[in-house]
Order: sequence, then C-alpha cells, then structure tokens
Amino acid sequence: MIAEAKSNWTISSANLARSWLNRLGPLLGLILVIVIFTILIGDPERYLSLKNLRTVLAQTVIVAIGAIGMTIIIISGGIDLSVGSAIALTGVIAALGINSGWPTTLALAAGIAVGGFVGLVNGVAITRLRVVPFIATLGMLGVARGVAKGIAGSQTVNIPDTWANDLLLTVPRSQWLLVAPGVWIAIALAVMAAVMLRRTVFGRRVFALGSNEAAARACGIATDRLKIYVYSLAGLLFGLAGVMQMSRLRQGDPTVAMGLELDVIAAVVIGGGSLSGGEGSILGSMIGALIMAFLRNGCQQIGWPNYIQEIIIGALIVIAVAIDRWRSSRAAIA
Amino acid sequence: MRKLVTIVVILAALVVWSCDRSGSKNPKKITVAVIPKGTSHEFWKSIHAGSIKAAREFSSAGHEVEVIWKGPLREDDREQQIQVVEGFTSQGVNGIVLAPLDNRALVRPVEEAKNAGVPTVIIDSALDSNSIVSFVATDNRKGGMLAADRLGELLGGKGKVILLRYAEGSASTQDREDGFLQEIKKYPNVELISTDQYAGATRDTAKRASENLLNRFGDEVQGIFCPNESTTAGMLSALQDIGKAGKVMFVGFDTSQSFIDAMRAKQLHGIVVQNPFNMGYLGVRTMVESLQGKPAEKRIDTGVTMITPDNLDAADTQALLHPPLDQYLK
Repeated sequence: MIAEAKSNWTISSANLARSWLNRLGPLLGLILVIVIFTILIGDPERYLSLKNLRTVLAQTVIVAIGAIGMTIIIISGGIDLSVGSAIALTGVIAALGINSGWPTTLALAAGIAVGGFVGLVNGVAITRLRVVPFIATLGMLGVARGVAKGIAGSQTVNIPDTWANDLLLTVPRSQWLLVAPGVWIAIALAVMAAVMLRRTVFGRRVFALGSNEAAARACGIATDRLKIYVYSLAGLLFGLAGVMQMSRLRQGDPTVAMGLELDVIAAVVIGGGSLSGGEGSILGSMIGALIMAFLRNGCQQIGWPNYIQEIIIGALIVIAVAIDRWRSSRAAIA
Repeated sequence: MRKLVTIVVILAALVVWSCDRSGSKNPKKITVAVIPKGTSHEFWKSIHAGSIKAAREFSSAGHEVEVIWKGPLREDDREQQIQVVEGFTSQGVNGIVLAPLDNRALVRPVEEAKNAGVPTVIIDSALDSNSIVSFVATDNRKGGMLAADRLGELLGGKGKVILLRYAEGSASTQDREDGFLQEIKKYPNVELISTDQYAGATRDTAKRASENLLNRFGDEVQGIFCPNESTTAGMLSALQDIGKAGKVMFVGFDTSQSFIDAMRAKQLHGIVVQNPFNMGYLGVRTMVESLQGKPAEKRIDTGVTMITPDNLDAADTQALLHPPLDQYLK
C-alpha cells in the first residue's frame, strides 16, 4: 500500500511539469486569442484599454457563473441543459419580487433559491426517477422556460431602479471597484468553488463520482444524495446568473438566454472539462468563458460578420477538445 | 516542428494582412455602427442598403462616412444585442444607429454609450430613454389601423378574425397589434377569436404557432392579421399546407418575394409595407448631421402603405417593394 502510494507520487512528480503545462493550456489559448486579435485590430491601446476590458469582463460574468456550476456537474459525470431556461426563470422571479415591493435583497435571494430548486428537481429526476441527466435536464429546459413565460404573462417584467441594476454596469458607480461588482462576485465564487473541489471531502467525492460511479458507491459514497447536492448547488449558481442577467437587462425576460447552455458547456469543455466526467477545473472553465468573450469582442472590433464568429467558436471547441485528448493520450503513453 | 512552422506562417500572414488593412485609415472619417434586430429578414437588408446610400452620399460630398453593419448573434436575444452596443461603445465609433430589441433592456447600454461620448439614433422600435438623438421609424400604430380597415373591408364588416402576435416585448409589433385592435372595433360584427398567441422570433416558430391556431380555429376563421414578416410568412406557409390559403382573408405586414407571389395567387389580400430603405437612409443621415452639429428632430416618420392585389403593379408600389439592394449591397 505504501509502496504503491510512493510509486504514484514518483510518477506524479515526474509529470509535474507536464501537468502544469496541461493546466496552463487554456491560459495559453486565452493569451494566444488576445495576442492574435491585438495584432489583427492593429490598435492595442483601444483593444487592451481598461474601457474594453471592463466591457468584456462584464459580458463574461453570466457565462462564467453558469460555468462554475456546470463545471461541478460535468466533473460529477453529469450535464445540465436547462441553464438558459433556469436563468430566464430566476431572472423573472427576482424581477417579480422587486415589483411586488419585496426588499431587493430578498427578491434576489428568491431568484437564487428558485435556481436551487430547479437544480434539486433535476437531481431528484436523475436519481429517483432514473432519467439520464441529458434527458432530465432537456425536459427541465422546456419546463423552466414555460414556467418563466407563464408567470411573466408572456411579457418582460420591467423593474424600477434599485441597486440590483448596478451589478453589471460596465463602468461601476464606485470608481475604486475598477470593474463591475458582478465581476468581483464571479471571481470570489470561482475561488471558493475551486477550493471546495480540490480541498474538501465533498469536492473529492464529486471527482470520484465522475471518474467511476460504481467504485465511488463501493467506497461508501451515497452517490444519489451527492448528485442531488451537486445539481442543487449548481442550480443556486444558475439562479445567481439569472439575477445577473436581470440586472443587465433591467428586466426579467422570459425569452432571454436561449441556447446559453451551449456557451456554458463550451466554456467548461474549452477549459479542459471532460463530458465523460472526473475531469475539469474551475480556473480552466473561467478561462474558457473569457476566451469566448474575447473572441466575440475581437471579431466585432475587426468587423467580421456574425457567421465567422460562430464558425470560429464552433471550431475552437473541437480544437480545444482534440488538443486535450492528444495531450492526455501522450501522457498515457508516457 | 512542422506544426510550429505552420502556426508561425499563419500568424505572419495575419500580421501582414492586418497592416495592409490599417494602412487606409482616415482620421476625419465618421464611423457609424448600424445595429439591426437581426440580419436574415429582407427588411433588415433594405435598412442596410438605405444606410449605405446615406454613407455614400456624404462620402461623395466630401465627408467620408463608414457604416459598420452588425446584428446580434442570435436574432431575438436582447443580451446579445446589448453586447454588440457595448462592443461598439468601447471600440469608439462616432455614432450608433440602433433598432432596439426591447424598449427597456437596451436603455442602459445606450446611456452608457452616451456617457462614453457615443450618441445613438434609434430606428424601427422605440426606446424608453431621453438620451437619444432622434427616433426614426414607421408609425406602427397607423400601420396596424390600415390593416384593420383592409380586413374589415375584405370581410364586408363581418366575420371571425385571428390576430397572431409577434414576440413578447417588441414595441413596434406591439404598436401594430394595438392599432389593429383599436381600429377593428369600428367593425362591431367582426369577432376576434384569438388575440393572445405569440409567434416567436423566426418563421419556424411562427409556422408552428400558426399550425396550432389553425388546428383549433381552422374551420371557423375568416380573417387573419399578422404583424410582421416572420409571422406573415409562417402563417402563409401553414395556410398553404392545409389548403386554406386563399379561402381565408389574410392581411400581413412587411414584404418579401413570396408575399408578392402569394398576393398574385390571391392567397394574401393585403400587406402593410413600411419603407425600411428610407428608415436606414434617414437613420444614418440624422446621425451624421447631428454629429456635424445640426440639431435633429426628435421623431421622424418614415411612412406606411397598404399594398393590395389592385395597386401591386403601380410604379410607386414597385419602387417601394424593390429598393435597389444590389446597387448598395454586394
């Protein structure tokens, strides 16, 4: 037992440099994207200006917060297709709360809580009803969207001016913040989630569940309960993303964020997450989200039409995963 | 190694290309970003052509104007359109001409643009903000009223009518729907049997919504009004599928070649057309003139016309239906 642990340790130390390189892969990708666009635009002062960085960061927040939740789910071997609908629903709930005179904090908390509830229902459907995550959350994609439209009366729900509207101002009201308050919230959550995944029993169990569910169960992990926790926790994050979306639109919009689940999943996958579970990192996913935001912003500043953006982002997802597979197959041979 | 060489060569090519592009910069040039709600509808292509016409007129008069055309990545997504406005703001264009997807959601980015020194002219649909230079658009209410009168006349003032709405939160179609509903009251024997269905953003969603409506009301409906291109196209195709086209009095809004064909086949009995070419033209013109220091009118009407099988071949109708797109868009 000790010998085995020791040999593992030797292998990992031999591969330490390479594993760091692997982890830096997405970061190198991000730097490459920024460098290429700086060259293409030919105006680094504008592209790398605080003004533009603020814009890109504020635009990344919703996908980034969603990607934190999605990373946890994907590491656990699951998937959640209902993110976009959950964002619409929770935004509408928070907006309705504010409109019915609740204190803003309470209304936002209600939005987040509903996100958690949506996740809980997903988790229960997956574990108790034995519906695979893809289908369970595909169903929720429709249900949550429909509920959002229903309670909003098929209208957008406009909200009055409160501090909630300032969460994602590209130029924050308090200059010392530098970037939108929502950006700091996303960073804080990302750090907390990364620590939780790497340093806590819960986090290690999520990795174990995604690597080999049967083995995890054999080791005494209550896998069903763990899954419910994972989906509920991610749901709370999707709820927060919905609140952020409401803040950006200054309204609860039941039709917003259609197809956003694909951006969120793409961020996780570009960042090194594996859809077969057991792999992924919060840092990688955040970088994945940033890569897509910088790509969009860059394409626009160059003046490329939308279809080129779509082609580039689509190709990038495949390339990122292909590189990842290539690296890991070489690591396996080594 | 060979891969590395390939990457370096590609990068070098990109650098050369970008240097080549930036060579033609003119400091006095005015850059106007035109942001439509989407780019696939023919309506937006006419706006694009009109905006380019305005830019060319200024340029040939010695004031170089460049129009950058960019819609949201997903047609009906407000968040995406906000990102486009924010992108142009941080890019530092001289002015923005925007067709907002929502009268409230786009207020923040437009006001932030103004604070950053980028003024906005709103076209097509209203924005609830005083921070704009001008609102250049069709009188949509009047368009809806024209449609109600046409349908009332077609039905002889009597019959069962469906209104298929467009999408939640779109101010221009909302005005058309309101104008229609108000004017149709003048025909007390016209009964509205469905007015609460929304078609969604695309022809595809509109067709599905139409099929559902026709499944339910297909036997009794006598008149239909659809408030924009995608709803009219979806409904037309649904009517054709079940062989009802031509049997139901059908008034649409906006234009496309398939509508003209349908009108000649007597499947469509009237379309309210706007003048998007003029809207794009006046939008950019107002923006540039305002940038040059000329005060702008707060509201500029770009006109609506009812086209029926009878006036379809008149010269001014044809000019309205076939703006010279090829001349401006390649």
